[in-house]
Amino acid sequence: MNIALVTRFLGVILLVEAASMTPSLIIALFHHQDGDVPALLMTLGLILAVGLPMFFLSRPKDRNLRARDGFIVVALSWILMSVFGALPFTLSGFLPNYVDALFEAVSGFTTTGATVVTDFSHMPHGIVFWRSFTHWVGGMGVLVLTLALLPKLSDRTSHLVRAESPGPSLSKIVPKMGDSAKILYIMYTVLTVIEFCILMLCGMNPYDAAIHAMGTAGTGGFSNYGDSVAHFQSVPIEITMTVFMILFGINFAIYYFMYNRSWHDIRNNEELRWYLSIVGIVILLLTVLLIPYYGSFTSALRYSAFQTASVISTSGFATCNFDLWPVSARMLLLLVMFIGSCAGSTAGGMKVIRVALMIKEAKREIRRTIQPRKVQMVRFDGKGIDESMLHSIAVFVFAYVALVLAGAVVIALENRYDLITNFTAALTCVSNVGPGFGAVGPAGNFAEYGPLAKLVCSFLMLAGRLELYPLLILFHPVVWKKN
Amino acid sequence: MRILVVGAGKVGSTIAEHLVQEQHDVTVIDSNEDVLEDCQDLMDIMCINGNGANAQTLIDAGVDKADILIAATAGDEVNMLCCLIGKRLGARYAIARIRDPQYNESLTLLQQELGIDMVINPERATALEISRLLRFPFASNIESFAKGLVEMVEFRAQPGDSVVGIPLHELTSRHAKLPRVLYAGVERDGKVIIPAGDFIIQAGDRVFVTGDMVTITSFFDALGKNKLRVKNVMIIGGGRISYYLSKMIVPTGIHVTMVEIDPNKAEKLSEELPHVTVLCGDGTNMELLDQEGVRGTDALICLTDRDEENLMTGLFAAHQGVPKVIVKNNRLNYTDIISSMGLDSMVSPKQITSANILRYARARVRGQGTRVEKLYRVLNGKAEALEFEVRAGENWLGIPLKDLTIRKNTLVAVIVRRGKVIVPFGNDTIEAGDSVVFMSCESGISDINELIQVRHK
Repeated sequence: MNIALVTRFLGVILLVEAASMTPSLIIALFHHQDGDVPALLMTLGLILAVGLPMFFLSRPKDRNLRARDGFIVVALSWILMSVFGALPFTLSGFLPNYVDALFEAVSGFTTTGATVVTDFSHMPHGIVFWRSFTHWVGGMGVLVLTLALLPKLSDRTSHLVRAESPGPSLSKIVPKMGDSAKILYIMYTVLTVIEFCILMLCGMNPYDAAIHAMGTAGTGGFSNYGDSVAHFQSVPIEITMTVFMILFGINFAIYYFMYNRSWHDIRNNEELRWYLSIVGIVILLLTVLLIPYYGSFTSALRYSAFQTASVISTSGFATCNFDLWPVSARMLLLLVMFIGSCAGSTAGGMKVIRVALMIKEAKREIRRTIQPRKVQMVRFDGKGIDESMLHSIAVFVFAYVALVLAGAVVIALENRYDLITNFTAALTCVSNVGPGFGAVGPAGNFAEYGPLAKLVCSFLMLAGRLELYPLLILFHPVVWKKN
Repeated sequence: MRILVVGAGKVGSTIAEHLVQEQHDVTVIDSNEDVLEDCQDLMDIMCINGNGANAQTLIDAGVDKADILIAATAGDEVNMLCCLIGKRLGARYAIARIRDPQYNESLTLLQQELGIDMVINPERATALEISRLLRFPFASNIESFAKGLVEMVEFRAQPGDSVVGIPLHELTSRHAKLPRVLYAGVERDGKVIIPAGDFIIQAGDRVFVTGDMVTITSFFDALGKNKLRVKNVMIIGGGRISYYLSKMIVPTGIHVTMVEIDPNKAEKLSEELPHVTVLCGDGTNMELLDQEGVRGTDALICLTDRDEENLMTGLFAAHQGVPKVIVKNNRLNYTDIISSMGLDSMVSPKQITSANILRYARARVRGQGTRVEKLYRVLNGKAEALEFEVRAGENWLGIPLKDLTIRKNTLVAVIVRRGKVIVPFGNDTIEAGDSVVFMSCESGISDINELIQVRHK
């Protein structure tokens, strides 16, 4: 490991985190409430006290970032960011237990939206804003933001983006990584602002609109109300958020194609077709399953559409307590939790492209047993997919499920709650959804879990956000050896 | 600029690497996914998998918006086709690598008909470089600037040379015979130094001097290095470079002996090159070289396909006292080690090709102001010599150099005004229409204003 270079990068990341705290600080200063200004200022001071020396005192001799170092930088920077990002919650006295604060910060950065907060009424605005802002930064990625701001950090930044952006392969939209990152953040900001404006038009106040726009953009799901979006009881708001949650689950390259009017590339994008089909089918099925429960088609459609969008985009907003739904509907949502959205979006889950490829691979395997001599190629976007890619996706899917199961087993060691709660807690964390079923359902939260479960969940959220490997390699001894 | 490189082989990836360093948007097309993956990891570029001569692949790579299309695949025909299609699809300039001697004769026709703006033949370019080195054997490297008026020559300072051990500003007063040349750079222990007046050259340094050809020649005469005239050359390996080189140097009266191991190739060469003595045998065999009188030749040039053989044979010849040894080396990472072993003249087709293409690309960078006309990477790219043709309107015209701010680690090496070469001192000025050559340790410079500015008081 190139310690000097990794340290330098981590220093930069901390400085970017410090910069991203300023909007919250402005909000806090604007609202004059107790506790949030000093907490944010102290955190800012601490981050600068650690970050500045890391950046200025590290003198890397070798400025080439190798694959291994790239992964380490990504994993460590996410951990470090969460560790510091948790401080405002503790320092403001709002979540006095640091483990709670850490859980909340990790949940924010990984855009999970699982929470330990039970009562928002006396939470200062600056802190709530910071909590939601972590969604926005974490959604597109902190390293991507860093590259957008400081494109000349290193020549070999592809490893960083590869480790941070979701999806099985690295896809740049323009040749230079720095420009790519800039374009991504511009599109991301524009979409967020559009949603913010529409939410205001639907009757939200600017502060609520900002919180919910950021929560949707990062596909996070933090709300500043205990009953989430159900608080507003407004159909226009629900429709707006449904549409935007689905939009933020789409690969951002698609928006760049739109901007360039390359409709051909959009029509050819197979993952988009799969994603929209899955969304459509699930909404339809859920509506049918929910008609007896709600009694009318329109309200069944209203709740099923919102909840489907919320879960498949791994946001985790709620307009109703879906834990009370019939078991058939809940089962369907549980499946959707695994899938998640498109590669290159802000959403979590296994990603549609992986699921689609595995379905095609399974079909091929079945065909092969019937007709072993047939030469078959798995195709996606009209192109043949490399066998090694299929293999690595199969391993990923196994590792994903294995991590969920292992996580559930460790969480269950606390002997709290029932099977479904513990299992969905692990699943919802790895998939970065937010609420699960049972005690961690939309009406409940993670507050009653002990420190062990909270730490394990934090780990699962980070692992899920970074798509397993960057975090898992930290446990491999070779990584810690010197070059 | 948006640049499309087709073929991520040795030349293609070297070009891409340099272009990225100069902040261009580079897209590389190759049909081999593994090669692309390596490129993606090492460089900040876009990689596209596919056949570069396929219109759809070129469209996917954005050829319609490309400023330069560089076709550098292994196949001449693919490169031509690629340029033909690329130009039709909207690329502004197209460069093709065409190396087969057969096409060489109909090159102008091909260029016109296919719309190729520049054809680069690595072997021919390398042969040209070698022939220049043979003309001035005292130099280990020569670059010419300002349409050949100015030469920059690299040589290794030997113990006892009159330039060694004396501060540069005292040289002309101590040695009356030594003409005034500019010491543009010195490489010592792998580092490049842009020397100031109090700099002292040590034995073993590699020194770059610039001046017009007459002054440079008399400078080396005064140093006593210019005694050798190359009349007998032995070439090991009968590949394309050897063929082109023989064609170039035989008419100037140099006698060439060529050693080729493959009997069929040797026979063909002797048919194509009637004035060359072609030997069939293993040119890396010391016994054979000895028998064929390697000690009597003025220069030995090693051009086999294997770098290692070239190096070993070259070292052997240098040991035997051959005054000039030139070796071909395509893997540049050895350069430092090899020059420390005493082989100074090294040619690399890959490097020469990419340098030629880079020069072309640089000259086509869009924008206002005075831009780089020519660029030479010297010492493995540790330093650059940049030539500018100064346009009117720059705010530092007519101001003496000593009153201007010159970028650090940079030197105004030569000014050429109306065909006259000026070795500049503090009181000289730069005027519109001059050609100015800078030597700089900084890279990625494209505008003269990055090097020179009016000093703010």
